[in-house]
Parts: sequence; structure tokens; C-alpha cells
Amino acid sequence: MNRSRSLWITLLLVWSLLPMIWQLITSFTSSDALVSTGIPFEHRWTLAHYRDLLSGDPPFWRYLLNSTVVGGLTTVLTLLLAVPAAYGLARMSPTRRSTIRITVGAAALFPYVLLFLALLELAREFQLGNSLLAIALPYAGLALPLALLLLISAFEGLPNDLDDAARLEGLGLLDRLRLVLMPLITPAIASTGILIFLFAWNEYPIALTWLSRDDLLTLPVAMARIAGSSIYAVPYGAYAAATVLGSLPLLALVLLCQRQIVAGLTNGAVKG
Amino acid sequence: MNWLLALPALLLIALVFGWPMLRYGWLSLHASSVLTGLEPVPNQGANWARLLEDPRFWQDALQTLRFGVVSVGLEMVLAFAIALLLDQRWRGRGVVRALTLLPWALPTTMMALGWRWIFNTPYGPLEQLAQAAGLSPLNLLSNPDWTWFAAVMADVWKTTPFVTLLLLAGLQTIPDDLYSAFRLEGGKTRQAITAITLPLLTPYILISLLFRTAQAAGVFDLIQVLTGGGPAGSTESIAQYAYLNAMRFLDFGYSSTVMLAGFLLLSLVIATAALLLQMSRLLRPLKS
Repeated sequence: MNRSRSLWITLLLVWSLLPMIWQLITSFTSSDALVSTGIPFEHRWTLAHYRDLLSGDPPFWRYLLNSTVVGGLTTVLTLLLAVPAAYGLARMSPTRRSTIRITVGAAALFPYVLLFLALLELAREFQLGNSLLAIALPYAGLALPLALLLLISAFEGLPNDLDDAARLEGLGLLDRLRLVLMPLITPAIASTGILIFLFAWNEYPIALTWLSRDDLLTLPVAMARIAGSSIYAVPYGAYAAATVLGSLPLLALVLLCQRQIVAGLTNGAVKG
Repeated sequence: MNWLLALPALLLIALVFGWPMLRYGWLSLHASSVLTGLEPVPNQGANWARLLEDPRFWQDALQTLRFGVVSVGLEMVLAFAIALLLDQRWRGRGVVRALTLLPWALPTTMMALGWRWIFNTPYGPLEQLAQAAGLSPLNLLSNPDWTWFAAVMADVWKTTPFVTLLLLAGLQTIPDDLYSAFRLEGGKTRQAITAITLPLLTPYILISLLFRTAQAAGVFDLIQVLTGGGPAGSTESIAQYAYLNAMRFLDFGYSSTVMLAGFLLLSLVIATAALLLQMSRLLRPLKS
């Protein structure tokens, strides 16, 4: 029993990690060795892919920075909108709440790639293209449904008496939210924030259509551009190095915030 | 007051989700392309007539359906098995769960190109293995009969962790007592899965099906980077066709029509599934 379990665990890890480990190996393999098996083992390795990547124009860390800026901005903006909204919605009558929940749930399910054309028109109309600041707007809009679902159920978990007591103490609405209620739902806010950040960091179709300047690309678009640059000869070594560097921040995030991510995903889908 | 707090968020949602649908509805009734100087001109439903007779749209719809059904199906089975494994108590379970979550957390476009390298002919590892085993070349990305399955594989790799987490959350709501009682009654472990686990897991299975079906219907990033819709259009999805119409053919009227039609088809699939489910629930008391 125990031995077969170890076997399954090993298989699971191999399946999950091998494609990434292959990228790691590829990133250290010289371009010649990638297309030839004749090169002896000790001459196959190189750091050239990383060197090229970091000295490119723009250097690779620029995309990481852009993605981080967009992810951070989107997270802050979405939470600023979603926390008060969820508080307001959570205090409505049960029938209204369930209507809202169904509407917001439908939006959370919506395959948002279909929205890109109309959003691109808006970007052109209001000159929001090629701005890392402006792209946080559609991102916040796209992330809001899930954020609302998560935060509404967090606020619903708090007893109403608490809010009433704070009101009797003479605390205004903002103080009640900030000083009394928000500290109690910090875990939900944290896991919502991480999911929003991941969404913005990974988003592709909107970034593809809103951003075109080389130095403003986010990571997913920069990656896809390498793929599209030449259909017949993708520079796989350089690309693998990019995958490795691009994965490191996420690896850290997932390992550190595993619990919040799991809680957010399951609560969002199940309770919403 | 409560509404006021929610207003900014609800307005932004309405703008980002609601406005595009209205706009597409309007655009789909207009010709708006290079031929009209990119100005919308009413065209009496010509876009919709064209859609009904556009073999490429219907082929893409079928391909999206094939991709969705097979990958969501595989994901459900795999995720159920993995969730069962992760639901047991063993040392290092937390770390393993975090590591298996990684594929889900990475940007789709990033690992799509990673998979392109793995599927590469003749230098990718799969092709090398096939060669070493004396097989003929697999041509996973250039054989129209098989490339869609390569896309399914990459998608299953990426999204199974999401389904696993949902099912795991469901498994953790089932009290252990139920299983011990079942065993005391003389039930076998294997029977417990159909007698206890699956019935109690049903809501979680349904919700993951719903999420994954909707996501698969809009598949774009993965296919765009992995195959670009090829070979011979055999992996093109509805979202990609809409994207091509807008960004390459600059035909915004028809692109809007394709997107609306894609959305309507997805709604139809979900509504039918919901209806069937409702019917099977109504019929169940009759059977017993």
C-alpha cells in the first residue's frame, strides 16, 4: 500500500515538474547541442542564453518589472473597489444577494477573451493603449467578479452584531470597515489579492492588443512574441532561459502563499 | 448606502462585460471592415447569414468542442485520482500539493512555448524517445490528425491542478466516519468510492465542470502560441477565428458576429447540460 502510494506520488511529481525541468536543462544547453546529439556531454553546457537574455534590448528583467507593476496596480485597484462593494452587497437582503451572486458568478465564468475587441476600441477611443497604468482598468474589471464572490462570502461570515456594536460606538462607515471588519477578513483579502495578481501577471489577449511598445510588454506577450518572431526557428535555448527566469517569481509566490491560493480558489468556486 | 458602496465596482463590471456584448450586438448588424473604410454601415443581417454558411466557423466550433470535451474529461478523471491521493495523510503532502500547483500558476503562453519545444520534430525529447524506440517520426505539431491532441495534453497539464484543488476541497468535507461505518457494514474500499465519495462530491464535480467548460470554450492563449491554429487550421478555436477576423482581416463586423455566436453556443451547451441534469434529478425518485 505504502509503496504503491510512493510510486503514484513520484509519477505525479514527474508529470507536474518534468516539462519545467526540461526547460531548465534546455536553458543551459548550447544552441549547437540542442540540435545535435554528437557533442560530448562536457561540451554541451553554456550560460550564453542567460547572458543574451539579460543584455537584450530591452533586457529581460524589463518584462518582469512590467508584469509586476501591472500585477501590483491591478491588485490594489481591484481590492479598493471590491472591499467596500462586497461589504455593501453582503448587507443586502438575501434575495438581492442571490441575484447579485448569480450575475457576478456568470461574469466570473465568462470566457473573457471574447471581450478583447470592444475593449480595444475603448482603448483607442480614450487613448489608453501602451500604458501600464491604464491597462489596470480592464484588468480590475475582469478580476472584480471573482474578487466580489470571495469577499462577499467573507463578509457574510462576520456576525452583524459586530457592525452594529461598532456603529453604536460612534464609528463611521470607513472606520468600521478599516478598523473593525477588514482585520477580521485579512485572510480572505490576502488570498483574493494573490489570485488577482496571478491573473494580471498571466493575462494575454488584452495585453496583446493594448500594449505594442517593446519596452512596455508584459511577460506573457513578450514570450509569445518570441514564438511568433520566426515560425521555423524559435530560439529555444534563449526561450527556455526566459521561461526559467520568468518562473522564479511565481515559484516563490506559490511556495510562500500556497495556503492563500488554495483557499481563494476553492472558496471562489465553491461558495460563489 | 449599500448600493452606493457597490456602485463603482458594479459600474466597472458593467463597462467591461456588458458594454462589449451590446457593442457586438450592434456591430454584428453592420459591415465594418476595410471595404467600408472601417466605418460601420448597416448590412441587414448579412454577417449572420455569412456565419451560417461559413464552413470555417463551424469547423472551428467543432474543434473547440472536441478540444473542450476531451481535455475537460481527461482533467476530471486525472484530478479525481490526484485529489484522492492528496486527501490521504502522508508526510510532505503540503509541499507536493504546492509543487503540483505550479503548472497552473505559470503564464499559459510561457509553457505553451515550452511544450512546443517538447513536441518539436526532430529535436524535442518526445521525438527523440520515439526515434530511440525505433518508431516513425511522431510529427506531433505538423500532423493535422494529432496536433489537437498535443494541445489537449498541454492543457490537461496546465489546468488539472485547478480541478484537483476543487475536488480536494470537496473530499475534505466528507467525514471519515462515513467510511468507517461503511467498512463496518462490510463494504469494500472500492465500493466506497461509488457509494460515498462520488455522490457527495457531485456538487464539486459540477462546479469544476462548469468553470472548465467555460474556460475551454474560450481557449486562445495556448493554441495561439503552441500551434497558431495549424496545421491546416486543424486546431483553430472560435476565439482565434474571431481574433483573426478583427486583427488580421480587419473585419470588425464579422469578428463581432463570431464572438457573439461563440458566446451563444457556449450558453446553449451550458443550458442543455443544466436542463439534462435537472431532468435526471426529477427522474431519480421515480426509479427508486
